[in-house]
Amino acid sequence: MFESLQQLATGFTIASTVQNLLYCLIGCIVGTLIGVLPGLGPIAGIALLIPATFSLNPTSAIIMLAGIYYGAMYGGSTTSILLNVPGETASVITCIDGYQMAQKGRAGPALAIVAIGSFIAGTIGIFGLVFLAPPLAEAALAFGPPEYFSLMVFGFVVLSNVTGKSFLKSLMMAIVGLIIGTIGLDPVTGDARFTFGSIYLLGGIEFVAVAIGVFGIGEVLVNVNQPSELLDQGVLMPRLRELYPSFQDLKKSIGAILRGAVSGFGIGLIPGPAPVIATYTSYMIERRVSKHPEEFGKGAIEGVAGPESANNSACQAAFIPLFVLGIPFGPVTAIFLGALLIHGVSPGPLMISQHPGLFWGVIASMYIGNFILLILNLPLVPLFANILRIPKRILLPLVILFCMTGMYTVNNSVFDIWMMLLFGAMGFLMRKWAYEGAPLLLALVLGPKLEVAFRQSLMISHGNFEVFISRPISIIFLLATVIFLVFPAVRLIFKKSKKGGG
Amino acid sequence: MNRDEIIGGIAIFLFGMATALLSLGMPIGTFRMAGTGFFPLCLGILLMVLSVLFLSKLFFQGKKVSVKREFVERHGSIKQLTFFFGTMVLVTLFFNRLGYPLTSLLLMVALLRILGIKRWGLNILISVVTAVGSYFLFVKWLDIPMPKGWIGL
Repeated sequence: MFESLQQLATGFTIASTVQNLLYCLIGCIVGTLIGVLPGLGPIAGIALLIPATFSLNPTSAIIMLAGIYYGAMYGGSTTSILLNVPGETASVITCIDGYQMAQKGRAGPALAIVAIGSFIAGTIGIFGLVFLAPPLAEAALAFGPPEYFSLMVFGFVVLSNVTGKSFLKSLMMAIVGLIIGTIGLDPVTGDARFTFGSIYLLGGIEFVAVAIGVFGIGEVLVNVNQPSELLDQGVLMPRLRELYPSFQDLKKSIGAILRGAVSGFGIGLIPGPAPVIATYTSYMIERRVSKHPEEFGKGAIEGVAGPESANNSACQAAFIPLFVLGIPFGPVTAIFLGALLIHGVSPGPLMISQHPGLFWGVIASMYIGNFILLILNLPLVPLFANILRIPKRILLPLVILFCMTGMYTVNNSVFDIWMMLLFGAMGFLMRKWAYEGAPLLLALVLGPKLEVAFRQSLMISHGNFEVFISRPISIIFLLATVIFLVFPAVRLIFKKSKKGGG
Repeated sequence: MNRDEIIGGIAIFLFGMATALLSLGMPIGTFRMAGTGFFPLCLGILLMVLSVLFLSKLFFQGKKVSVKREFVERHGSIKQLTFFFGTMVLVTLFFNRLGYPLTSLLLMVALLRILGIKRWGLNILISVVTAVGSYFLFVKWLDIPMPKGWIGL
């Protein structure tokens, strides 16, 4: 442990050089700006800016790219809160309560708590990264296809239960998302499915098109469908002192932040889209432990603080398998792997001994990056919150223009804009019929991985379904799913019988 | 019973049915070696079962409508909505031909007008500032290749 601390101190010396601090600052600013633009998430942002790092030394290059990553994650939360447009998958959950807070004139506290929560979670994540990296990375390898399948089934049931008013409707939306996720090439055999001969559909439905469509365009269309006089009514605007969280807000959030940071870190080690799973697991935990679960979905600050902290923590933990094993478990870390290889660094068990300066320097820079984001974003909260002062008659066309532009930039394809419009119309109908968008979106992301895990599990077991209940980790998740499904009903029956008896 | 709820339930049932039927046209395989259509077939059937459950629940609930009617009751202008969405469709249709700067300008002018910004001076000012700003942000600063169209910008 002492050796790790000593190495971390060396890392801070490397990361605190004027040059590296500057690159970290540039990365955070550029990342935040990219994250705020719909469509350009961290993946596109890092991919676009890798060429800009070619002339830098590997340590400075990775420090700058890590800054872009954190900045983009933060920026994505900003659009979720203000406009109900998730910048990336991990911000979908933030839309639920963050947007409701903004509608009630509490965009400032929501944005501020994201910055504070991310910083605290980042701090916890750094210590986890330093001390727990090697043993936790080994534990993560115990996750095979059956465990992963059971974990995702648990996730879907939990998410369907915590979003919306009807469990059945949310579950149906999750299934619709899974079906949409099957469009494109079969991940196992490579055959085309539901493409109807279109080459554009071979790669599947672009996640960003569904996210911007269902949430962003759907929300705009709902607003346009309102009577004219309602368009002149803005959201409640806060007074200056209400732009930052009150003591009560901080008191409510601190538990959520700590829980989110710890759970997010653990989940970050699991292969797959860890930040996404981490956010909805945190949301579920917060709703379960809250004394006022009915406030969730209506603007509960814990519903923003917990998932955003979990997101940040999971992002840091995801670097462990990349650095220690050389295996990227998600798309962002895969891009980082590419960037490291371009700069002549091969991550893996030997990275710490062969490139100690880079390894510890990047870890220290993550902490510095979190601090920069905190001091950069807290003063910007009033600026971002004031976006909502723009009259809806002007704001709505602006949102449409940025959604269409952002959508085009993902693949430079007009087809993606068509998809966005289609899902926008669907998002409008979903609002009309009171269906939740979050389960659909998360199922779309996790669907292909769920299918692969399911089919691989059955291949391993020669078609025997016992594989899901014969492995300890898998059975724990499945039991948790059953408990989660049965517990509310049992509690209701128990309450009724108690009333009847009394 | 809520008409919107029933329409939604039926639409989801039909979506599940279409998925299941289309999946049957693909190789299903066995549990040991599942084919391309196996997973979507399971999902389609599951969706049909869930939507039938949902519709039965609505039927047995009868007049006890659980859904919040707030959204439905605040119906606004269908005409405004149609024009708004129609403009987005039209602009997408001509996106490549007109090019990004012109498309963004026309989109802004039309949408602002539809939403009631009737003063042409203000409308044009907002549209031009937005179109020029987004052009410099995406094309010049972020260096993203957007369609140039016939004006070649």
